[in-house]
Amino acid sequence: MKKLIVIIVTVLALTGNLLAEKQTLQIEGSTTVGPIADAFVESFKSNYPELEITVKKTGSGDGAAALVDNRCDIATMSRFMKDDEFKKAVDKGVFPVAHVIAMDGVCVAVHPSNPVTELTTAQVRDIYTGKINNWKQLGGLDMPIVIISRDTSSGTYETFHQLVMGKEQMAAGVEYVNSNPQAHSRIKTTPGAVGYIGIGFIDAEVKALKIDGVEPTKETIISGQYPIARPLFLFTNGYPKLGSLVYKFCTFHLTETGQEIVEAKGFIACTKY
Amino acid sequence: MKNNNAQINKEPKTSSRSLALTALEDFNGFAIYHSGRFVLFAVSFNTVLIVLLIFYFVIQQGLPFFKNFDTIEFFTSKQWYPEADNPKFGALSIIFGSLYVTISALLLAVPAAILAAVFLSEIVSHKIRNYVKPVIELLAAIPSVAYGFFAVLVLAPFLQTHFGLSTGTNALNASLILSIMALPTIISVAEDSITAIGRDLREASYGLGATRFETIFKVVIPAAHSGIIAAIVLGMMRAIGETMVVWMASGNANQIPSPWWDLTQSVRTMTATIAGDMGETSKGSPHYQSLFAIGIVLLAMTFLLNIISEYFLASAGKNSRKK
Amino acid sequence: MRFFIRHITDKIFTILTVLSVIMLVAILAVILVPMLRKGLSAIVFNGTIEFRKMQLDLFSRGDIDELKNEDIRSRLYRNKIYETIESFKQNIDSETLSDKAGVIYRNFGKELQRKNIKGAEYQKLRSLSRELRDKLQAVFKSSDKKFIQENISDVLKFKNDIAFKDTSIDGLFVLAEDFASDIEHIDLSRRQQYAASLKELENIITKLLGPNPSLPVPALKMDRYGATRRDIAEKLLNRLLWLEQWQQDSPGKPMKRVITPRAELFAGTEIEPLFNYIRENLDEILVFKPAFYWQYFIDDSTPGHYFGGVWPEILGTVFLTLAAMIFVFPIGIISAAYLAQCQSDNLIIKIIRMAINTLAGVPSIVFGLFGLAFFVLYLMPLFGGPSKPCILTAALTLAVLTLPVMIRASEEAIRSVPQSYVEASLGLGAGKLTTFISVILPAAMPGILTGIILSVSRVAGETAPILFTGAIAFGPTPKSIFDPTRTLSYGSYDIAIGDKLAALVPHNQYGMVATLIMLVFCLNIAAIIMRAKISRKLKGH
Repeated sequence: MKKLIVIIVTVLALTGNLLAEKQTLQIEGSTTVGPIADAFVESFKSNYPELEITVKKTGSGDGAAALVDNRCDIATMSRFMKDDEFKKAVDKGVFPVAHVIAMDGVCVAVHPSNPVTELTTAQVRDIYTGKINNWKQLGGLDMPIVIISRDTSSGTYETFHQLVMGKEQMAAGVEYVNSNPQAHSRIKTTPGAVGYIGIGFIDAEVKALKIDGVEPTKETIISGQYPIARPLFLFTNGYPKLGSLVYKFCTFHLTETGQEIVEAKGFIACTKY
Repeated sequence: MKNNNAQINKEPKTSSRSLALTALEDFNGFAIYHSGRFVLFAVSFNTVLIVLLIFYFVIQQGLPFFKNFDTIEFFTSKQWYPEADNPKFGALSIIFGSLYVTISALLLAVPAAILAAVFLSEIVSHKIRNYVKPVIELLAAIPSVAYGFFAVLVLAPFLQTHFGLSTGTNALNASLILSIMALPTIISVAEDSITAIGRDLREASYGLGATRFETIFKVVIPAAHSGIIAAIVLGMMRAIGETMVVWMASGNANQIPSPWWDLTQSVRTMTATIAGDMGETSKGSPHYQSLFAIGIVLLAMTFLLNIISEYFLASAGKNSRKK
Repeated sequence: MRFFIRHITDKIFTILTVLSVIMLVAILAVILVPMLRKGLSAIVFNGTIEFRKMQLDLFSRGDIDELKNEDIRSRLYRNKIYETIESFKQNIDSETLSDKAGVIYRNFGKELQRKNIKGAEYQKLRSLSRELRDKLQAVFKSSDKKFIQENISDVLKFKNDIAFKDTSIDGLFVLAEDFASDIEHIDLSRRQQYAASLKELENIITKLLGPNPSLPVPALKMDRYGATRRDIAEKLLNRLLWLEQWQQDSPGKPMKRVITPRAELFAGTEIEPLFNYIRENLDEILVFKPAFYWQYFIDDSTPGHYFGGVWPEILGTVFLTLAAMIFVFPIGIISAAYLAQCQSDNLIIKIIRMAINTLAGVPSIVFGLFGLAFFVLYLMPLFGGPSKPCILTAALTLAVLTLPVMIRASEEAIRSVPQSYVEASLGLGAGKLTTFISVILPAAMPGILTGIILSVSRVAGETAPILFTGAIAFGPTPKSIFDPTRTLSYGSYDIAIGDKLAALVPHNQYGMVATLIMLVFCLNIAAIIMRAKISRKLKGH
């Protein structure tokens, strides 16, 4: 037993001593932007293998808080900073600068067997407030609507809430899921479902609806015609020093590889190579 | 005790050690014994300390919520909009959801568990029992996240396709899995208490010509009722505190099902609300505090259940000792 | 009659109890069998050449020469696919042509800068060339032959313009001329439709075979390889061969899934025979070979667990468990000894017992809250550490959680040591401490070990307490106990719910959870066997 303890202690001590100082980059924030940051890191690593980059995906709010407290170098956010977050930052001598790294369209999706192809923003709002509860009211089949929403603390929820719901609250019967993939799988398996997911998650198994007559595509989102779209941000403290690691990371989306990654992750790149 | 043995012994020291102790040795022994006891006590008392710390820290983080927001609204309103501009913290349907899945799980689990406990203690031989017990232990050993995995990826699609439900992640799914998770606890405690009933009662009953069914239901179970109640309460504690399964399987809709008996609707529980929301709230915000407030409610509930179960376990112990 | 009813009730009751136990066994089987069976497919499966390529590139594993040979052979079959698509694309693909025009335009801009042409001249040439590019791009998109011809002749008017002589703009004219001659033979109205269908087809082929070797290597590892296993390959082949569409027969009815051969989209073209070709030669193209991927347990994974194994998760789980055990082992044993040695049930003992029972009843998520509030937000900053979730905080939280398990099991073990041992030791003049360390502890060790194993299995499987205290879904291997870690338990949650990529690789989803279950089960079965041995030994007395 003693030997075992000795071994355990040595192992722990050894691992503790491995804290060699390396160039590090702390990235924290949104779960939506997280996958892009992860993929950027993967690609970065092959160019700069000695780098230590950690990506934490806990939520846009945490990213902002971490940047304000100087706990991270880059905050990933799927929304712009709120007024009070900005105020707090400036009070602490942190000057957040936004870098738009990609666009994300939030699509209202239904089961592919649903004949409804088009809704207006007002109709979507009425569905989520519970005023419309059967597809028949929208010219569809006689089938109750199963409403799927993302967690109240996710960035996607905030975008949807802001762009579609306005000041109104969601109905009680709304089913909350924790992630885009889960929302996707709920919609794909439920004929009466309606949900909202990032455009990257639209595939043959779920059908994205036209909103106010505009189909969610790369073009309509970039041109701003599609109403439920948002830019995704990286926030840094001041504009990063040219040539610094943070600068390289924040401008990586402007490179061809960066664009490829953004597109591979299902978002819409700001560049067009 | 030891100082009674103390005797002054002046025999010269030889290679073999004398049995008696010198005064110093004796004092040392006394000191070591008592300091040792104190160390033992101090270490053991850590457990008490930890419990106090848990209560203190959960309450300390959650208390500001009850100060800043309307406590009555928290318990009576169904409006849970923690991230809105004008946040609303009505946890009624969340608390209801927890109780709802817990009670439905118990309704499913208790009959099966008592039957199984009777089977193990009354019907089969020791040998078969030794084979069945590991099964129950393995059921208890499966990690809750694995149950949740099963609920989401296997059970939910099954429920949806075979029963035509609009959603597979609902109260029914969560209750089914929770009942399976509560089974081992209920079975083992109930079995212990049934076994603890002495032979004399049973023999008297059989002697009066009662069948096994009558003996068990009219004699053994009434006699073992406190143990069985304790078992059910412990099972309830297990179910109400379970997180991963309900988070993954209950659908997390903030509603009270209507009609109330419709298990195929989604509900949201206290544990799932904490697990789901905590990751993305910023520390110290009202939303964060409200989650700790839910934690307080949860802690209070399980503490209460714990006291109830201890009361019944104690009385079960007394009953069986009386015989 | 009454006797009969009583008798029947009795029998029914007995059967019911038997059924309840059979149900228990059935439940265990129903839950375990699918998860373990599918989990096994993460390790034993029919691998393709893409799998072996991935293994070689990412984990430098495998026989390079053999793989090269296989690759050459499969290329023979693959090239036909690429060639057919390429030649078909020449005619219909407007996007590539548009892109080409765009590149020429950009190169021309660079050329102007190189030649140091500035001011009005630069602007004039630049806008003129842009006009040409836009016209051509409009032409490529159009399906109106007349419009095309007019515009092309417009563009070609500038062919002999002195300003464009021997510049890269020449490329635009070549494109225009080629296009004009190409479109003479094809049905332009279907070109748009062909282009869309072809794009989808190419996507599926890329997923099936990996990226076209003539194109640059994709940035993400997951895009660099085709289908790695037979089941995925077959799924993709199905998608390749069959087109799924939703159509409505009559209004007011749900749309129905209509499945038609994808080849119909390309009827009469050179693409049509390609489908049969791929289906018939799939074995040669992908070179299936049975794979026993035991390295699943020692491989790192790419993001989303798309490729690779669960090593970081196993390592994290082991680290967490070890660290938790270091805290819980001494406290657990000492408390158990104290409780077992105190014969009298005085108030203090009662309070301690009450505390243990309360602790055992606290919901695991509340431990998570406590760990966050106490260890992460209070204790870590108090000792000058970073206030962030890490292995240490997670281990402490888990230690607190498993303390009751440890104390109860150890106490029972210590109590079950026969009193005669203790008396013999005390009788020989040993002190209480000596007796405890050299007599009671060794005799109780198997029982205590059972307790340890059970707490280890509890710690390894818990998820809720480490959600906010140190578990992450994806990240670097921890360098110290002040880093967060991946674990099997949280990984199982994340791979089931949180990750989009994981849904594409179900074997990895099940592989993760099966690993967790196997780990916990091995520990539990060890504990069960150990306890059976102890009880046999005790009976022997």
